[in-house]
Amino acid sequence: MSEPRRRVPFLRLAWRNAHRSIRRTALTASAVMVAAAAVVFGRGYVRGALGNISDTFWRTETGHVRVRREGFTARERSLPAHLSIPGGVALARDLARLPGVRAALPRIRAFALVDGAGANRGGLLLGLDLALEADFWRPQGMLVAGRLPVPGRAEALVGEGIARKLGVGVGDSLTLLGQTSFRSLGGLRVAVAGLARSGMTFLDNAMLIVPLDQAQAMLDLAGGATEVLVFAADADQADVVLARVQEAVRGRIPGGAEVKAWWQQSQLMRLLASSDAMMAIVWGLLLLMSGLVVVNTMLMAVMERTREFGTQAALGMRRGDVVRLVVEEGAVIGALGGAVGAAIGSAITLFLGSTGIDFSAYSRAMALPFSPVVYPAWTWVDALGSVALGTLAAGLAALVPARRAARLQPAEALRT
Amino acid sequence: MTVIRTAAGVVAVVAALSWVGPSAAQVTAREVLERLDANMTIRTARSRAELVVHYRDGDDRTMTFESWDRGTDQSFLEFTAPERDAGSRFLRLGDAMWIFLPRVGKSVRIQGHMLRQGFMGSDFSYGDASENPSMAADYDAVIERRDTVEGRQVMVLALTARRPNLSYPRRRVWVDVERWVPLREERFAASGRLLKTAAFSDVRRLADRWYPFRIELDDALQTETTTTLRVLELRLGVSLPADIFTLRHLEGGR
Repeated sequence: MSEPRRRVPFLRLAWRNAHRSIRRTALTASAVMVAAAAVVFGRGYVRGALGNISDTFWRTETGHVRVRREGFTARERSLPAHLSIPGGVALARDLARLPGVRAALPRIRAFALVDGAGANRGGLLLGLDLALEADFWRPQGMLVAGRLPVPGRAEALVGEGIARKLGVGVGDSLTLLGQTSFRSLGGLRVAVAGLARSGMTFLDNAMLIVPLDQAQAMLDLAGGATEVLVFAADADQADVVLARVQEAVRGRIPGGAEVKAWWQQSQLMRLLASSDAMMAIVWGLLLLMSGLVVVNTMLMAVMERTREFGTQAALGMRRGDVVRLVVEEGAVIGALGGAVGAAIGSAITLFLGSTGIDFSAYSRAMALPFSPVVYPAWTWVDALGSVALGTLAAGLAALVPARRAARLQPAEALRT
Repeated sequence: MTVIRTAAGVVAVVAALSWVGPSAAQVTAREVLERLDANMTIRTARSRAELVVHYRDGDDRTMTFESWDRGTDQSFLEFTAPERDAGSRFLRLGDAMWIFLPRVGKSVRIQGHMLRQGFMGSDFSYGDASENPSMAADYDAVIERRDTVEGRQVMVLALTARRPNLSYPRRRVWVDVERWVPLREERFAASGRLLKTAAFSDVRRLADRWYPFRIELDDALQTETTTTLRVLELRLGVSLPADIFTLRHLEGGR
């Protein structure tokens, strides 16, 4: 006849045991707490930083899908206007009507010699449809002096770095020279309408934004563009939009089209697209480290409580019950540490998410290709997930001391 | 400066004494350079030339221009065709160069980064066109060997710059030892990397000089193109307007 199953209040016992040595419990919990806080903040920071990089690249370089004439990218060092998209403006209008497309923007990107106040240097000429670009390139947000150029007028928004080097300010004139679509020399004399700061050194030291029509006139590109950037209504649907754009441009660009999604356009973009898997390894290692602390402190606890486990075994407590008790004790401590850590991590993430972390000083030195202010992005999933993972990691780590406690022989344990 | 030198920036250009001087066997490398330099000192010249840029995809772009030169330091050049390039002008005074485009309406001095850009999209750079080194004063030379090019006896000289900031710290020139005209040239960076190769042909006698009327240049760093400069007409000893080599003239036209 089997003995009836006893109801052991494991969780309550685990909770009570956790209080028996506050210092040890605090030490164990603090390891989980630090790990949980690091996971919440770290994930929020990485999400914010990667989002910043992706957003910057999407807006300024790649779109979600970018259309260029075949061969333009291979000659990106010279940005040759003769490899432009004839009728690029009309093409952009058609692409904007595709399902799932939020916007399609014709842009001109070319090298220019910029002459002003007696000095000259190389610059990056950007011909933009300033009305369409308000939510994408966001020139308004970069404005630090003056105003935006007006379409139809020979005016430029000039990066403050290149403006400083040329010795020009708002109201001054600049002369731009560049190679036209016929590969001859084109020029444009513009008034500096405003100064811009993107926070990205390489842009601020080179960019000259002029209305699209002015860049077209300078480079003999009437109605044309050197690229069309397509933005999906939902960034996660970029692959669907890619297929639609590929279909839509087929046969429309002489010499062939190069249509690429953002993650196909650079090593960095490919790296970003695979960043989740890489970061999962980092978070896993962090939890493993906290688990090792839990193993250590709980082993100490088990050693100290050898007589107690011997007594419990002598009173008929099964080995499985001992394992469960110790594991749940670890899980309770893990949950405590995880909750406090998640709260701390959340507070830090939310605070810095509102103020931003400004890396301007470093970005100037390192010429980072993204906005220098990173806004960590907090999510419920990170906070609750780190509590759950902390609980799980501590519980799993407690298996090692639990098995040791379960192997104790009652008589031997009572003699110690 | 001749049109050849103006547009091409050909340093080893050209011209040699019509009289046969000391025999080639007796000439030192330095004397060869001095002869080339001596031939560059043309009092005045007026010329018309064609610049053809050949693209790898099979296209050619042809531009024509006229040039006025005084000595080696003053040059004025104006494109006459095609229509979209007509009126583009260049003024060179010593090592300084200015460009004027009609639709910009203002002259711009070409310096820094722009000097390395292709002159009107050709393989000649603006630096080639503006730099005017004295071969004997700016380069040390050694005779590497004797050779033949297109059936003509040549002396191959290796040149090393004697002052910094020259576009080409090292050169190798194949000099026709009968007409004292360069027939081939290689231009190198300080690292020894080949930057440009030039071939000179259609050598004609003009008064007491020999000139190559055709130069083919290949910029090794610009793989899409090669360029041919063909002199259509060259007149020496012409009288020039007094103010032709001025910024005012550059911006105001002839």
